Amino acid sequence: MVEYHRHSDAPAISQGPISIAIIGVGGAGSNVLDRITLDRTLDASLVCMHTDVRVLGHAMAPTKLQLGTELMRGVGAGGDPDLGREAALFSRDVIRQNLAGHQIIFICAGLGGGTGSGAAPVIAEIAKSTGALVLVVATMPFSFEGRRRITQAEEALELLQKRADALILFENNRMGELILPKDGIQKAFGAADQLISQSLRAVSTMISTPGLVKLGLDDLTSALSSSNGRCLFGFGEAKGQNRGAEALKKALKSPLIDQGRLLHHTKNLLVHVAGGEGMTLVEVEGIMKQIGRNVPDHTQILFGVAVEPKLGDAVAVTLISSLGAEALQSYSQAQTAIRLEPEVPASNEPAPKPAAKTSAPPPLPRSSEPEEGDASKAKTAADAFDLFAASAASAVATAPVATSVFKEVTTEVTHVIERSVRVDAEIPDEVTFEESETPEAAEENEVEPEVVAPMAETTSVPLPTARPQAAPVVTARERSEPQAEPAPAPARHTGGLLANVIGGSSSAATPDSDMFQAGDEGRGRFKNTEPSLVEGEDLDVPTWMRLKKKLSR
Amino acid sequence: MAKTTIYAGLEIGTHKICVVVGEAKRDGSIKILGVGEAASRGVRKGEIVDFDKVQTCLNDALVRAEDRSDVMIRNVFLGVSGAHIESLNNIGRYRLPEDQTEITEDDVEEAKEIARNVNVPQQNVFLHSMTRQYIVDGQEAVRQPIGREARFLEADYHIIHGVRGRIQNAIRCVREIPLEVEDVVFNPIAAAQVVLSREAKNQGALMIDFGAGTADFVLYRDGMLTASGCIPLGGDHMTNDIAMALQIPNGRAEKVKVEEGSTLYQDVDSGDVLRVEDDTGHVIGEIERAFMYEILYLRAQEIFDQVKVRCEAHIGHLGAGIYLTGGVSLLKGIDAVARDVFGVKVTKVGSAPVSGVTSTFENPKYSTPIGLIRYAQILDSEKPFLSPLARLSRKVSEMLSVIPFS
Repeated sequence: MVEYHRHSDAPAISQGPISIAIIGVGGAGSNVLDRITLDRTLDASLVCMHTDVRVLGHAMAPTKLQLGTELMRGVGAGGDPDLGREAALFSRDVIRQNLAGHQIIFICAGLGGGTGSGAAPVIAEIAKSTGALVLVVATMPFSFEGRRRITQAEEALELLQKRADALILFENNRMGELILPKDGIQKAFGAADQLISQSLRAVSTMISTPGLVKLGLDDLTSALSSSNGRCLFGFGEAKGQNRGAEALKKALKSPLIDQGRLLHHTKNLLVHVAGGEGMTLVEVEGIMKQIGRNVPDHTQILFGVAVEPKLGDAVAVTLISSLGAEALQSYSQAQTAIRLEPEVPASNEPAPKPAAKTSAPPPLPRSSEPEEGDASKAKTAADAFDLFAASAASAVATAPVATSVFKEVTTEVTHVIERSVRVDAEIPDEVTFEESETPEAAEENEVEPEVVAPMAETTSVPLPTARPQAAPVVTARERSEPQAEPAPAPARHTGGLLANVIGGSSSAATPDSDMFQAGDEGRGRFKNTEPSLVEGEDLDVPTWMRLKKKLSR
Repeated sequence: MAKTTIYAGLEIGTHKICVVVGEAKRDGSIKILGVGEAASRGVRKGEIVDFDKVQTCLNDALVRAEDRSDVMIRNVFLGVSGAHIESLNNIGRYRLPEDQTEITEDDVEEAKEIARNVNVPQQNVFLHSMTRQYIVDGQEAVRQPIGREARFLEADYHIIHGVRGRIQNAIRCVREIPLEVEDVVFNPIAAAQVVLSREAKNQGALMIDFGAGTADFVLYRDGMLTASGCIPLGGDHMTNDIAMALQIPNGRAEKVKVEEGSTLYQDVDSGDVLRVEDDTGHVIGEIERAFMYEILYLRAQEIFDQVKVRCEAHIGHLGAGIYLTGGVSLLKGIDAVARDVFGVKVTKVGSAPVSGVTSTFENPKYSTPIGLIRYAQILDSEKPFLSPLARLSRKVSEMLSVIPFS
């Protein structure tokens, strides 16, 4: 049933069902096991391993194993991977006993903590030595969990990569996308657990059930083959009339795939379609056609179909692929260089501020944006990004590995991107946000009245410099001839030149036109609405005011 | 379907809220039964900002419409607008399976599906997606591809999308009245149904619905909907410009604009001064008429410029020219401004003749609400170029798709 191209040394498979073991290591691992136990979706022996007895007490897995009983005395590893490793080594015999006799062993661990990062590699090694296939499902910590945990996770990851046959890596940051921003953290972790248990179930179904079109571990490893890859995983199950399309839609909805967009960048994509006995060829064909549209031609699609009576009349679609962390980053950077900016002021560095000012993108369709402007914006974004990275680097000068900093920034970036996707059309909102946030904007507010609305003065004291302003509120009889003459004149002359003036302003965004975006002067009744920004110019401000300002310069 | 149907169209405009009740007859003609209008408050730039105020005004308009038409209104077609609404054209290319030469209904569906599969920002929903044409093996402008022999089928779609939350808010506001929203329609799409004739669409026409809060436009080229959108600038901005120039209240400025407004500043003598009085006859401001006209000219020009930027590529293909409608199109000289900007023929129009109290409704102010009735009628007769995809109408279309050739 399972194809073992690369593992010819593995024991030949006996007839009968494959025995699968799922090992949850550490807190995250036991949470995933809880989820699997509750769902009762998997035919596997579940073993929960932890250093902390209290966690084990809560765990719902049928088999529980306390690591380093005497060494740790039932207390957790306290976030120290060394302790976790010691504990696992201490109880290796018990571990071996529990692992023996299984052909496939999944190890679930949340990396970054003590037990997960420390014990998982040891357990993986033991598992490997029993001759089983070892698949590791690991999660990287949220970026807010701190740099140290990420460094620990990276180190553990390296160890695991050497020992496991396949490594499925989830980025918690991306999984945060599964839930609404306002939902509790508990729900965030819960959703992540659910996704992992789904992936476990999908993978084990995939490898263990007899497929009409088989998919084996070799396919799985090649789908996950990119170095330092992050797993792109999507799973969808649906019933009813349109189940094929619905299931695929759900699978593509997975935040790890980013609405299928990330699939454009992968080399290998594993697609597994499982369904009850009622599944038809047409359905499968429809699904594959749809997928064909989502991936470029050069992507290798590893395709498998299996009939799983357990599914009843449902159809399940699993998509597995991977993308190198670097590729992921470059994708995200290229995608949203401009959109990055709103996030930049959030850091405490004063440097990125100018970037924030130019960042207000006009609400016009992107196509109308001059390309140079785009490029320069992208550049400022890149600069700001550099600064940010640099400051981050200096802030953690103590951090031993530079790559960890790099990674931190990466995760930050991906995080931003995911949010910015939503922000996309809300640009005006961003602008109002800036208005209230940037202190500079507030300053401008106070300064500007002199520049923009001096009309009150003009009526009583005609200033020589206020020549164009004399026009609007003219008390004609009091006004002397020479003043009256120039007043309408500038405007009149511009009448013919208007197209040039306005056209000029709209094609080449004037550098100081952003003065308008912050101030409320001249907005009149539109004071409290979102500004209609075009090329950095607020069109809610009367045209004549803006024009006058341009002319007086 | 063999009966006359009564529809109600609701436009929540920035300046006025308008409910139109119309009867669609079997022969396709429309009779307007009644119109209820109320001044609008709590709407800015085409979007609802104050629910309570809008609902009060909406109730007024509704009661009037019910009174005049003697119809109890339960369902409405709601016109929406707002700067968040954008549009794009997308072509879905479908290759027929090797063993098949003739295009079937399924293939068309497939091509459509591909065409609709575009990336819009995550929080956006499709408001409309309309088939512009089918392209069969490179042959364009095919209306009915089913049954043709071909290798490739392409479906050309015009997709209008907007921010889900904002559209949803408008719907919610209406539902609380309570009124059921039958479908949500992008305002200029509705207005174009009554403003533009078939010939105009074929020759190429740009309709600009110049309202108080927004200037919405749709562009037809070769009979196909090619571009549409919304500029969040309108008559309110003109009023504001005047108010700020004269330092007078907005209400007064509005009155000045409506009564005295024009954009033909070149025809006015420079000495001509306009006095603005308040209710007691007190002069609260004076302005040189030419200057005020110029203020209006500049603003109008700017708004047209914005429209032009968005349909630059098609300006050379407007055989029928530009059609101006909406409240601001009543402003004197506005057509001249449009002609200056676009350089093509400009027509000021209201709704094309419908029966009923016609004279009232030829006023350009009512283009959109009457258009909503027409849209509703077209929707029901399932004209191919207006297949609805708004969430609310999905049910209807599914039901209809079961009946062949209906």
